[in-house]
Amino acid sequence: MAADGSMGAAASTGIGSGARSFFRTRRLSRRVQQTLIAYSLLSPAIIYFTVYFFYPIGLEFWASLFSGQPLIGESRFAGFDNYVTALQDARVRQSVFATLTYAIGVTAASIAIGLGLALLLNQRLPGRTAIRAVIFFPYIISFVIVALIWQAILDPYTGILNGVLANFGMPTQNWLNDSSAALPVIIAITVWKDVGYAMLIYLAALQSIPSDFYEAAAIDGAGPAQQFRYVTWPLLTPTTLFIAVVSMIGQLQEIAPAYLITNGGPADATRLFSLHVFEAAFFELNIGYASALSFLMFLLILGITFVQFRLLNRDVSY
Amino acid sequence: MTWTRMLFSYAILMLGVAMCVFPFLYMLSLSLQSDADIFSGVPTLIPETLQFSNYIDIWQKAPFARFTLNSIIIAGGITALHLIFDPLVGYVFAKMDFPGKRFMFVAVLSTLMIPFFIRMIPLYILTARMGWLNTYQGLIVPFAMSAYGIFLMRQFIRPIPNDLLDAARIDGCSELGIYWRIVLPQVRPALATLALLTFIFQWNEFLWPLVAVSTTEMRPITTGLTLFNQEFFTQWNMTAAGGVILFVPSLLLFLFTQRYFVRSVMLAGIK
Repeated sequence: MAADGSMGAAASTGIGSGARSFFRTRRLSRRVQQTLIAYSLLSPAIIYFTVYFFYPIGLEFWASLFSGQPLIGESRFAGFDNYVTALQDARVRQSVFATLTYAIGVTAASIAIGLGLALLLNQRLPGRTAIRAVIFFPYIISFVIVALIWQAILDPYTGILNGVLANFGMPTQNWLNDSSAALPVIIAITVWKDVGYAMLIYLAALQSIPSDFYEAAAIDGAGPAQQFRYVTWPLLTPTTLFIAVVSMIGQLQEIAPAYLITNGGPADATRLFSLHVFEAAFFELNIGYASALSFLMFLLILGITFVQFRLLNRDVSY
Repeated sequence: MTWTRMLFSYAILMLGVAMCVFPFLYMLSLSLQSDADIFSGVPTLIPETLQFSNYIDIWQKAPFARFTLNSIIIAGGITALHLIFDPLVGYVFAKMDFPGKRFMFVAVLSTLMIPFFIRMIPLYILTARMGWLNTYQGLIVPFAMSAYGIFLMRQFIRPIPNDLLDAARIDGCSELGIYWRIVLPQVRPALATLALLTFIFQWNEFLWPLVAVSTTEMRPITTGLTLFNQEFFTQWNMTAAGGVILFVPSLLLFLFTQRYFVRSVMLAGIK
């Protein structure tokens, strides 16, 4: 309407203002045009993310209000019964504890070892590109392979680790069948697989710290330890939090080590929450209850992410 | 750098390298051992005789050719969809201006915080109701795009000068024409990286196939190996041979492209 009006006015007045409003009209219609094009190009993405990301969260909550197999089999409306059952289940509590231990253990160790490796590789060492690639490599390997390799290595009778220990006269262990050793062992295996990622992200961050900072610190008489304490570590804060967020989101929902290596045992020591949910859904076919557990995990991950982002937003300025 | 510091650095790094390489060598060694070697009570890294027949045995006991084909179809299909959609959406966010852009971008990025496991059960319900369980489309379509890929492509498309795009616009090029003829050729290395990352991660995927596949012929190599281990193989030499088959494509892809790979992970990580 406004565009038409100005066009009409432009036609009746002089050329100068006519040209001006002509351009304004062009710009306005181009903006409308570009909006239309943008949304039509985006439409597959809008449909995809709605159907496969946002709608499932709602569907999961809906399904969690039923017992049995809501929407695909027999079910009965149960209100919040599933949630009450979940919160009262001692096995659920045990698995939440194991999961938090696992996720925090993997995250903390990846950050410590990843940063250590990145600091070493940030020096001018011949061959460092090759070393970086080799240490990163396990990150891109399927957990199926990682699981079978480590099961073979840790096999109490035929595995090479106990073989080597026996050779040196040291006591052998039943690594994966000892309820106090199993969880630390699967934490170590996950760190072995994932530490290369933290290392790479730290390396990228270290390379972006201007060398003036270190020169200034050196002039002020700071040694290597003090430079790390007062220059490197504070500047790496956003990176550390980024790795912590990514790692926690990933590890809280990780099922691979529990499913593929220990099957949750011994005595539920490595029964990660994800395995508990998986079994409730696909072994016991209790889809409604499993949806409630899964939705609770969503809230937990959301909460932890929110807290970490609050920390992340405390700006670090150069 | 002083000599002692260099030696110290190398000593630690070599320990790390050894810890990363050794398990794979052990897997290779196991895959070539005979049953007698395995049960000799003395674990070895270098078997006396190399029993290559393990690889033939495993191929005969399980339909590994079919598993491999399934993995290629699934990971390949997903990669193709990513190459179609991720750069297109990345381009819209990088170069176009429209109301609601910020909201849409944040909405897409927020999906990074909804991990797959959380969506697994509703996805199962959804896929079952569509009748897509145990089909290729049921294994491919739910992974057609990713916020990570879109973000990565946006980061690569943003530095392309706007003047270049405007010049094409003045010459009468349509928005899709600009995308196809100017933007895509400029980001070819990034597309290769995206394809590589997507293919390798989908090649590794085991959880969704475990849930959505019910027949042996539809299994990809990951769940094929896992379930056959549970059903048939109790000996590490057979399992290890299957592991090597699953492992080799990832190794080869990584060997030839590790530079791009490493760089793209670093780039996406620090924005």
